[in-house]
Amino acid sequence: MTILPLLLYLVAGIVYAVFFVRRSARAGRLATASLSAAAFTHTFAIGMRTVEISHLPLVDTASAISAFVWMLAVAYLYTEVTTEERALGVFIAPLLVGLETISALSLTVSEPAPILDSPLLAAHVLSLLFAYAAFALACVVGITYVLLFRELKSKQLGFFAARLPSLQVIDAMNGRAVGVGWLFLTAGLIVGVVWTMLLQPDTSDPRVLAMSFSDPKIFVVVLSWAVYSFELYARRAIGWSGRRDAWLSALGFSIVLVNLVPVGYFLTESHNF
Amino acid sequence: MNLLLLGVSHHTAPVDLRERVDFSKRGLVTALRELAVRPTPTESVVLTTCNRSEIYAACEDTDAAHDDLAGFMSRFHDVPEAELAPHLYARTDGGAAQHLFRVAAGLDSLVVGEPQIFGQVKDAYAVAAGEQCTGALLNKLFPWSFAVGKRVRAETGLGEGAVSVSYAAISLARKIFGDLKGLSVLVAGAGEMAELTAVHLRSQQVKRIAVASRTLTRARELADRVGGAAVDWSALDDELLGVDVVVTATGAPAPVLTRPEIERVMHARRNRPLFIIDVGLPRDVDPHCGELEQVFLYNIDDLRAVVSENLARRREQTSRAEAMVSDSAEEFVVWLRSRGTIPTLVALRRRFEAVRRAELERLEPKLSRSGPEARARVEEVTRLLVQKLLLTPTERLKSTGDAATAARDAETVTRLFDLDEEGPDASSLADEAQAETGPAATSKTPVASWTD
Repeated sequence: MTILPLLLYLVAGIVYAVFFVRRSARAGRLATASLSAAAFTHTFAIGMRTVEISHLPLVDTASAISAFVWMLAVAYLYTEVTTEERALGVFIAPLLVGLETISALSLTVSEPAPILDSPLLAAHVLSLLFAYAAFALACVVGITYVLLFRELKSKQLGFFAARLPSLQVIDAMNGRAVGVGWLFLTAGLIVGVVWTMLLQPDTSDPRVLAMSFSDPKIFVVVLSWAVYSFELYARRAIGWSGRRDAWLSALGFSIVLVNLVPVGYFLTESHNF
Repeated sequence: MNLLLLGVSHHTAPVDLRERVDFSKRGLVTALRELAVRPTPTESVVLTTCNRSEIYAACEDTDAAHDDLAGFMSRFHDVPEAELAPHLYARTDGGAAQHLFRVAAGLDSLVVGEPQIFGQVKDAYAVAAGEQCTGALLNKLFPWSFAVGKRVRAETGLGEGAVSVSYAAISLARKIFGDLKGLSVLVAGAGEMAELTAVHLRSQQVKRIAVASRTLTRARELADRVGGAAVDWSALDDELLGVDVVVTATGAPAPVLTRPEIERVMHARRNRPLFIIDVGLPRDVDPHCGELEQVFLYNIDDLRAVVSENLARRREQTSRAEAMVSDSAEEFVVWLRSRGTIPTLVALRRRFEAVRRAELERLEPKLSRSGPEARARVEEVTRLLVQKLLLTPTERLKSTGDAATAARDAETVTRLFDLDEEGPDASSLADEAQAETGPAATSKTPVASWTD
């Protein structure tokens, strides 16, 4: 069951690539259909897992990454439906396939620590994962901005100019995605801080006691928060938009990715439940 | 039934003659109604655009129809036949189909790949069909041409990319800003290229066009023509702060906009994108301005380069498109030929059916003794037998592409099975022929799946 969504994401990725190169409307519809099918089976897989372990599968890193992939797929499908723009799918799909592969490879079955039995868990994890999904979109959008910007500046209009939406539209999408992501990131962090403050006075769990600014996972997430905060400030206050913002979105998301995979798997002492 | 095309186009006739034979002058419907009462064409569609006037007709005898239609064109437009004749071209059957497919795909257009012609072909057919001037042949041909046109566009990218300088500027603006509706445009100078670009921008419904010129009167004149507002030359700097697109064509000997000036403006604009189209000769904008972040500077040569690249890309695609059109025309010819052998096929099927009926009747006394079930069985078996025996010859006859072979085969079949003496009346034969083309057409040609 865990392998089926991955295969469908792979298929969707291939069809999106075909669509990007050939630009046939039929391939476009097929791409959307296959990604929808992937997201649907993924929903089902997560649902099955929830029934199996009788809580949302958000605790271990593999499950969290899978949930992130699901959110990104749904968020992307949403932007596709609202903007009628399919050209970005080819950039999103590799991310979905790559992360879902990492998640599928590490099939750890862990009992949740009793300490996590709290409604704050879902609020904390879901809002952070949603923020990451928005940042992933912003990053992809930012990359396409740079690609199109280069073609327009060098006056060599070609591959990307024929396929991507306008610079202004891409820039607006970037701004919106970062704005939404920042809100959820902030909310998720606040929930985390409040939760830690509630737990720390009367627990001896070393992981909870390790929840501090010096823990790699927490340090890196605050770093990404700082990058995105600066991006929003730069957009509004000092008129940074376009290419510089696009680079900031890419930088921010690479920090998020580092946090999600290597730090989440190997380095953190606090968040390994 | 044959297909005939007769017409003039930009390839064969100068513009003044094309204007005189423009069917839209006196109305397409009038022309179609007059064609409907002519002796030769049984079906007709009239296609008329600024570059062509063509009649597509179904007829029995193409030579007779050619003379008839040429005479009609000359009288309808009041152009002497002798004057019209050298510019007329005629195509029949496969040639006519190929021509229409090329037209629908934009291959026959002045600017190869231009998109309007596709809609014009569709309209021409819709009007003729509305007047009930089309029948089995043209009802097949025209939808087929739409499918070809669509496929060529979808698979070759023939219609992509701007192919005029001012349109290239518009498509660049679209790539930078997306929708042009909310944009403000500043036109500096009053040259012809500036005006042309401004007119194009106006047609994209930009929010505001400001025109600045060294002399306010000239600015006012141009502003009136393009529906903009004239501004004083000294207000240029203020205008630069608010606009999105700048078109310059001043004819001044030295750059009007320098890099330090644009740098200052961009700072004040907080790096909002600025698209500068410099169509002045010598150039009005310091080329170094293009190095600034969020300044997109294109001069006339840059735009020409974009255009020639697009044209080259279109040319590359032309041969692929031509091949697609030729293949489709060949398929159409096969369909057309299969219609010619239909009377023979119908007669053959009747002959076989008659033999079957006769044998069943002869067996009737025996069959009536063995009960209804056995009887139905025999009926079924003989029917299938006839069907299977006829399957291969039917398909072979229908798929013969070349007219001479088809006629010879049909004749041979007629002789071998002695089909001539059957002599069914014409109307019932036509009905059966119609029934014959239905399923055959859907199974033998890809049209059914294309027309979506």
